[in-house]
Amino acid sequence: MNLAIQNLLQDKVRFALSVVAIALAVMLILFLLGMREGVLRTSVIYLDHAPGSVAVLPQGVKSTSAGSGQFLSPETAEAVADVPGAERVTPVLLVMAIPELHGSKQVIRLVGYDDALGGGPWDMAKGREPLADDEIVLDRVLANKHGYRVGDPFEVAGRSLKIVGLSNQTSTFSGSFVFARKTLVESVALAPGSASVILVTPEPGTTTAELISALSAVPGTNVLPKREVMENDRQVVAGIFDQVIFLMVAAAFIVGALVVGLVIYAATIERRGEYGILKAIGARNGMLYRVVILQAALAAGLGALAGIGFAFAMGELVMNIKPQFLVAIQPSAVTLTIAAGFVMALLGAMIPARAVAGMAPAEVFRR
Amino acid sequence: MFRLAIANLVQNKTRFAVSVGGVGLALTLVLFFGAVFAGAQSRLTVYIDRAGADVWVSQQGVRTMHMSESALPAAVAEDVKSIPGVEEVVPVLYTEGVIEANGKDYIVYVFGVPAGAPLGGPERVTEGAPEPGPGEIVIDHAVASEAGISVGDEVMALGQPMTVAGLTSGTSTLVSSVSFVRFEDFAAARGEGQVISFVLVKVKPGESPVTVARVIEAQAGDVTAQTRQEFASEERKLVQDMSADIISIMNTAGYVTGLAVIVLTIYIATVARRREYGVLKALGVRNGRLFQIVFVQAFLTVVIGLVFGLGLTLALSVVIPEFNELIVLSISTGSLLQVSAISVLLAGAAALLPARQLAGLEPVAIIRRG
Repeated sequence: MNLAIQNLLQDKVRFALSVVAIALAVMLILFLLGMREGVLRTSVIYLDHAPGSVAVLPQGVKSTSAGSGQFLSPETAEAVADVPGAERVTPVLLVMAIPELHGSKQVIRLVGYDDALGGGPWDMAKGREPLADDEIVLDRVLANKHGYRVGDPFEVAGRSLKIVGLSNQTSTFSGSFVFARKTLVESVALAPGSASVILVTPEPGTTTAELISALSAVPGTNVLPKREVMENDRQVVAGIFDQVIFLMVAAAFIVGALVVGLVIYAATIERRGEYGILKAIGARNGMLYRVVILQAALAAGLGALAGIGFAFAMGELVMNIKPQFLVAIQPSAVTLTIAAGFVMALLGAMIPARAVAGMAPAEVFRR
Repeated sequence: MFRLAIANLVQNKTRFAVSVGGVGLALTLVLFFGAVFAGAQSRLTVYIDRAGADVWVSQQGVRTMHMSESALPAAVAEDVKSIPGVEEVVPVLYTEGVIEANGKDYIVYVFGVPAGAPLGGPERVTEGAPEPGPGEIVIDHAVASEAGISVGDEVMALGQPMTVAGLTSGTSTLVSSVSFVRFEDFAAARGEGQVISFVLVKVKPGESPVTVARVIEAQAGDVTAQTRQEFASEERKLVQDMSADIISIMNTAGYVTGLAVIVLTIYIATVARRREYGVLKALGVRNGRLFQIVFVQAFLTVVIGLVFGLGLTLALSVVIPEFNELIVLSISTGSLLQVSAISVLLAGAAALLPARQLAGLEPVAIIRRG
């Protein structure tokens, strides 16, 4: 143990640099996983806050992430409202729009809702909800980014609308939510009386399963628990992000392992005289391996701890500079990263371990 | 001096290989992420480019296709057709939806195109029918291959089971691919009135698409008309604007990690050779000369690391599509130049710490210490 620590600390600058480099690799892994979790969470932020536990979607539609090109007709909405066991029925019409603000295209999701039935903004930062068909509530982050204030005009789909309120928690990595009366969004989509999804709250005494069973009798619908739709939404987004994120995590992991290998190798080669003496007086390779692995584990352990700190700091920094991003570092990701740090250490230790094993005592002295 | 720098750097080949590997992988992070986006961008406008339309007419204010929705009254197609300079019009329906195949979901751009339409139908059909019949769909070969389905199999699209009638090629990206169904099937699934998404316009020979587009906007009312080039350019701008933030965050993370690895590498290489540097100083070599040696080492490590990273990214761009045809990687010249320029700056920054070490070296003391 002492030998390992002495060996590692013989050059403190090198040791500090190695811990920082490992920490950066660990930070990158944790930060990427935090970004992924943030992206998945914000992808369901609307449904998470919308009322109801049951979602009625057009036939064959399972998710609200991608536009389905399908709407629930006004007749379907009426039939859903008439189903016994439904306490509250909230039809919502979702339409994507891409206004150009200050020369930059912004993705917004127009949420058409009826204020008497719910489905609007859940956390107003300023102003009020829309009362007329030319009024909207804009996401606060989008408003701040482009200098919009309550009372300003805002153009969407060729219409000039008035901002009457700003909402919190309505910004995501891929765009912002903008709330309007359902009748306005119907006129934008040329779909009068239609809905993209109808959210239903069961009456007291009616279970979600009973309500789903009753609603399933309405033709042209796909009725699912809201949680299942949210999971489907997450899966659609994960399908896009995961392949890239996991390849980058793998690259960061290999960088970390190489850094451990490089540092311990340099420390080992520098002390080859001592290792030669140990071998000459009968120390087995197993004992020398333990010294090498211990050094690698110490460097990786400290690097991993610092990396976790760096990742949280970078997450905070990114969320302050770019508030549309949520970086959500999960305890499970931290555990996984610490484990990855130690696997890095073991892999990194293989290079110096080979060097130690290949050392011939006499040769070391000769050199 | 140059030879001394190289000899010093490659004296220990294992250490040199590990250093170059570390730097190369850190730069691969940056190159790879850029290549994924460039790959997606290279196919972003493939439908717009291949559809054969000179002018695209959409709902007023709608200038893009990706993540956009356009709703026009069906009568607009006839209005546009009557405008001078217009030879052919095709109304299409469009949505960014999901195809479910073999229990897995794939995001697709679905186009509803009238049977026998001269514009907007499937291009480069590699297998099966050239266009979908009733209840049929033409999808991209990459999605079929990824889902393990072929012509004649059934998928869920627009909320209903559809038979795969044909396969196209080269429309898939990480995010999406292009699929085609009959206009009537799409309209029935949409379920709401006489609505279309876009009108594709072919102008008469000799007519300027720019002029015709402006006339359409003036005469058809409440529409946006763009030439194919304008529409494609808006589409590329959308994805650039959407991805700019995330790309800058990822690049910064990659560069900072790369910088730390380079600093560490050069520092270790310098400290390991401090005796030699001590001897050089004792022989009268000035600090400036030694700094040059350190910088050349940093520069060489970064250049070789960059070549390694580039090679690895190129290898990934060949290997990854073999396993997943939906991911297309493309290394753009702009991205390569940017990474190269920043890498040289990183080399300069990385040489600073070891250079300070050298400046503090005392020739006699270092030789005495060994």
